[in-house]
Amino acid sequence: MNQVQVEQKSYQMPPQDGFTVARFITVVDVERSARFYERVFGGRILTVGNSEGAPGFIQIANTWLIVYFGGGPTPDKPMVTLSVPADPDCVSSFMNIRVADIQACYQLWRSRGAKFLTEPKDKYGEIRCYIRDPDGYIIEVGQSKPDFAYG
Amino acid sequence: MSELKSSTSQIQVEQQSYQMPPQDGITVAQFLTVADIERSLRFYETVFGGRILSRGDSKGAPGYLQIANTWLIINVGGGPTPDKPMVTLRVPPDPDKVSSFMNIRVADIRACYERWRKRGAEFITEPKPKYGETRCYIRDPDGYIIEVGQSNLGVAYG
Repeated sequence: MNQVQVEQKSYQMPPQDGFTVARFITVVDVERSARFYERVFGGRILTVGNSEGAPGFIQIANTWLIVYFGGGPTPDKPMVTLSVPADPDCVSSFMNIRVADIQACYQLWRSRGAKFLTEPKDKYGEIRCYIRDPDGYIIEVGQSKPDFAYG
Repeated sequence: MSELKSSTSQIQVEQQSYQMPPQDGITVAQFLTVADIERSLRFYETVFGGRILSRGDSKGAPGYLQIANTWLIINVGGGPTPDKPMVTLRVPPDPDKVSSFMNIRVADIRACYERWRKRGAEFITEPKPKYGETRCYIRDPDGYIIEVGQSNLGVAYG
């Protein structure tokens, strides 16, 4: 089991008390996505799930990615459909990786097969670039400038 | 289980520590495009006990909120930027068509359902049994779904 501690509180997956925050992404191929996040970011595959409905779990740094196929409404979300991004260029939310050394991450992750939209670029408060994952999700990679705690 | 230590704004997993912003390595957050930064910060603060670290500014700095083991980065939408020349950010145009979302794994889903509902969270349904887990969903102020799930006993990763 993984465990994380923030201040005096500990977080586990699955949690023994309280709650732990993960991110779910709908994917075409659970195994392909698990391997991508393992290879590029050094994620740890905890399970690749199964065809009965158990998703894949991958630990990445301080959090977890939960990956599974799409599907129609379920009793607990009767109006919601899950699908891979229909238009990967129209985006609402995404994984955001804050890094200490963006040039090093850009070189390392590119050498591991990550596809970047551009090289790191200077932006207000930070230096930033984006990766496309195998399903077209964007992943922001950003390094805050020294004077910006939360750039 | 590993030996863990911590301090303010720092997370430690096994021998690796995580900070925001990171001093070395990486720290993973989630970004949400929202209509109103302040409204979203207050929602995640009120419902989940998140800690607001920054409210952003008018020059483009986003809001930051720490929630359990991770951080939410919140900003308004906008057109392409030089580092993503083909991508547009906007709040969900159809909140019923979803690709990715925040997933909160909990130890006691009944308790979370009651507490978070009392704090103003709008659940789509009450918790329902599903393969390997019990699950329900919240809508946030911009229509994002937030999964709340408790794995069944004996299922490590439900």
